Amino acid sequence: MSSTVEKVRNIGISAHIDSGKTTLTERILFYTKRIHAIHDVKGKDGVGATMDSMELEKERGITIASAATFCEWQGHEINIIDTPGHVDFTIEVERSLRVLDGAVLVLCSVGGVQSQSITVDMQMKRYKVPCIAFINKCDRSGADPARVIGQLHSKLGHNAVAMQMPIGLEADFRGVIDLLSMKAFYFEGENGEQVRSDEIPAELLAAARSKREEMIDAASLFSDELTEAILEESAIPDALIIDAVRKGTLLRKFTPVFLGSAYKNKGVQPLLDAVNQYLPCPADVENTALDLDHEEALVVLLPDSSLPIVALAFKLEDGTYGQLTYVRVYQGTLAKGAVIVNTRTGKKTKVGRVVRMHADQMEDIEAASAGYIAALFGIECASGDTFVSPGLNLTMTSMFVPKPVISLAIFPKNNKSQINMSKALNRFTKEDPTFRTHVDDETNETIIEGMGELHLEIYVERMKREYGTDVDTGKPRVAYRETITQRAEFNYTHKKQTGGSGQYGRVAGYMEPITEGDEDFIFDNQVRGGSIPTQYITACEKGFHQCLAKGPKMEFPVTGVKIVINDGASHAVDSSDMAFQAAARGAFREAYAKAKPVIHEPIMKVVVETPTEFQGGVMGLLNQRRGMIVGAQDEGPMTVVEAQVPLGEMFGFSTVLRSSTQGKAQFTMEFALYRQIPQSIAEKIAEEVALRKKSAA
Amino acid sequence: MLKKELILRNPLRQLGFETEDILPAGAIGAVLSHAGVGKTALLVQLALNGMLRSQNVLHISLNDPVNKVNLWYSELFHHLAGRYEGAQINSLWESVLPHRFIMTFRVESFTVPKLEERLSDLTEQGIFSPTMMIIDGLQFDESRRSDLNALKALAVKNGIHIWFTVRTHRHESSGSDGLPVSFSAIADLFDLVLELKPERADVHIKLLRGSGSTPVGSPLLLDPSTMLIKDKEL
Repeated sequence: MSSTVEKVRNIGISAHIDSGKTTLTERILFYTKRIHAIHDVKGKDGVGATMDSMELEKERGITIASAATFCEWQGHEINIIDTPGHVDFTIEVERSLRVLDGAVLVLCSVGGVQSQSITVDMQMKRYKVPCIAFINKCDRSGADPARVIGQLHSKLGHNAVAMQMPIGLEADFRGVIDLLSMKAFYFEGENGEQVRSDEIPAELLAAARSKREEMIDAASLFSDELTEAILEESAIPDALIIDAVRKGTLLRKFTPVFLGSAYKNKGVQPLLDAVNQYLPCPADVENTALDLDHEEALVVLLPDSSLPIVALAFKLEDGTYGQLTYVRVYQGTLAKGAVIVNTRTGKKTKVGRVVRMHADQMEDIEAASAGYIAALFGIECASGDTFVSPGLNLTMTSMFVPKPVISLAIFPKNNKSQINMSKALNRFTKEDPTFRTHVDDETNETIIEGMGELHLEIYVERMKREYGTDVDTGKPRVAYRETITQRAEFNYTHKKQTGGSGQYGRVAGYMEPITEGDEDFIFDNQVRGGSIPTQYITACEKGFHQCLAKGPKMEFPVTGVKIVINDGASHAVDSSDMAFQAAARGAFREAYAKAKPVIHEPIMKVVVETPTEFQGGVMGLLNQRRGMIVGAQDEGPMTVVEAQVPLGEMFGFSTVLRSSTQGKAQFTMEFALYRQIPQSIAEKIAEEVALRKKSAA
Repeated sequence: MLKKELILRNPLRQLGFETEDILPAGAIGAVLSHAGVGKTALLVQLALNGMLRSQNVLHISLNDPVNKVNLWYSELFHHLAGRYEGAQINSLWESVLPHRFIMTFRVESFTVPKLEERLSDLTEQGIFSPTMMIIDGLQFDESRRSDLNALKALAVKNGIHIWFTVRTHRHESSGSDGLPVSFSAIADLFDLVLELKPERADVHIKLLRGSGSTPVGSPLLLDPSTMLIKDKEL
């Protein structure tokens, strides 16, 4: 393991679906000699890319789970997290970004900045991850790196500056000109492993000079020495430029752009050089944790191996040898035999094996020091847990976890499947916080919840493949919600004083919609003068809270309700916790009906990229699905249609879209907001709910 | 309630035109100014005013992506409705949104036949039928005459009115009619021309060419801090 943290890079490779990030990772591993043969993503050789270790990923040609892997390039150690591209799996992307210090944003030279790149870029902003851009697929017809750089400016607001120039484009793409060294690079040998540097072709020299000037100009903003050197018109040393570009990149105010074609083995080695030159090492990034002993005060973590351990478990995997936990060490040294405490559970554990992962192979190591990513065996935890040395009580800032928007009932086909299913569900919920599961107490069905149709589909498939569990699935159900639209008063007396021990409680006040913030429930006690004795206030709150799980209107969860109680009455003998809970429930039902309850449905932001000739049809499809089209954006041969469509109408959309655009359109979908549903649809849903209840009974 | 109040409060009424839309169906109008003075802001307010009265607005932008145009609308709307309660504003915003459709073209690929094709895609499928159209970012000179004629015909055919933004340049002198020379060659095609002129801390909205109506009362201004139209000098 390298002794200096300066030579460590923890990077992610993120991009839109099919921009070729897995192919790029594959090439990186090949050139850094971690693998000895190249396999394609949708491999004709039946092996599949090394990073896509899950069977399912190989089959679909997409990357679902981020596999962490490690390689060495020019004396630097690079840990790569291969991140998934589909929006349904963004929790994976977010988790990866949390532990990364820098990222390579891969863009397709034809598709440019696509919807998913925008989402990923927003996530990078949230976690302040510096990035460099790689414009891939320069060999494809329609390749136009200049346009993509323009889009980086206009769509993502990056100060994107070309560090290279292509030599030829499309089928004629031969190599790149490095604007720093002013040399042309060609990639020769069977797999492009020999980089040949040469003079810049005469016809491109003038253009290269002007591009170099642009680049130096942009970089000079970050270095006074460089500005001086320009003004003095002296020869500018490369180191000065590298230093300025690096400074700008770390501040996220400069995005160096590189070119190539991973599939055609071009431009990958210079990109690796750029990772070493421009992306931060763990010491360049300030990481903080929350101190639980001091009201969650921020504590800065130092990448010093001699300090107590602070590490974050960011991913779990179920391997042949038990649970494998990927951790990023932020401080201290996580060595074999060290004692660590899980901050969430308070449980102490001794570290058994520490390994370094390379897709699905591993290598035992003695210790992982601050700044490194490693994997541990036999540690019981959930992803997102923090491990610390005994005596510390720190937690890494909690990650933003969205609520699930879709659910599905699953039924095991036989007894064996039943047992394995619970094992599988247990594992998946630990791995992925956006995937949840529960048993419906009325229908006794097992329900899984997640972020989209595909998200749930993948888990059902994984159950089948990894756990041999055969399950049937019900129809996907949308997570509707109930809420109220106006203020309503309540004054309810719960009274049962005929025989046996009596019950008495009166609760008065009002409920109103929550207008500010996105809290689900606020309880405000304004009772003065003890008309409800203090010891029963919590019982009242509990009673109201119980009503939220199933709304009186259609039994969907109730959200956005503020309850204020301001009066009541009690009885010296007959009042009890139970009585006040019952009174609160009665009060809720009484007021709820008067507060004009409505049903809200999840609305998805749907972005379809389609060849322009199909854009009319695509808009028709979205319109049929109660979609509100926000706009249509002209992107040359493609048009991007953005719409807001109710999730309930999006089932099976991918099939319809494919068949009506000859498979040439693609779409991404993510949760946008909850919105009230129209009356006619509400009636339809009411019917469905009634039917379901009947069949369950 | 809130909707009605916002419509009534609209200072554009001060311009003293017969119709609420200022332009009648089939007419075309232009807003002139230097870069960054507030052409888009003014037109977005006209659009919002239309949307509040359930009119459909097709916003065509040749410079900005959909998200940025959308931001113009949401910012100005929230400024306009700023002093009302959050939930009310949001539900009103949700209810006016379906009256807007944003379409972006790249400057070089914008042609009138292409626009017509897109428009019929929308109207024939019953997705969206605009009554007002905004074309933001078109370059103007004499060579645009045929395009403008075609757009005017499109407006008449579909019973819509179209607003254009016209960017003027500081180095360009203006003719006797107060219009920039390059624009005055085609000015006859427009039924109405407004100019935005920064004067001291305010931006004045001036009528350069119009259908005989003269603004009543105090001059109309754009507040440079919010880009909202206001009817009084502070």
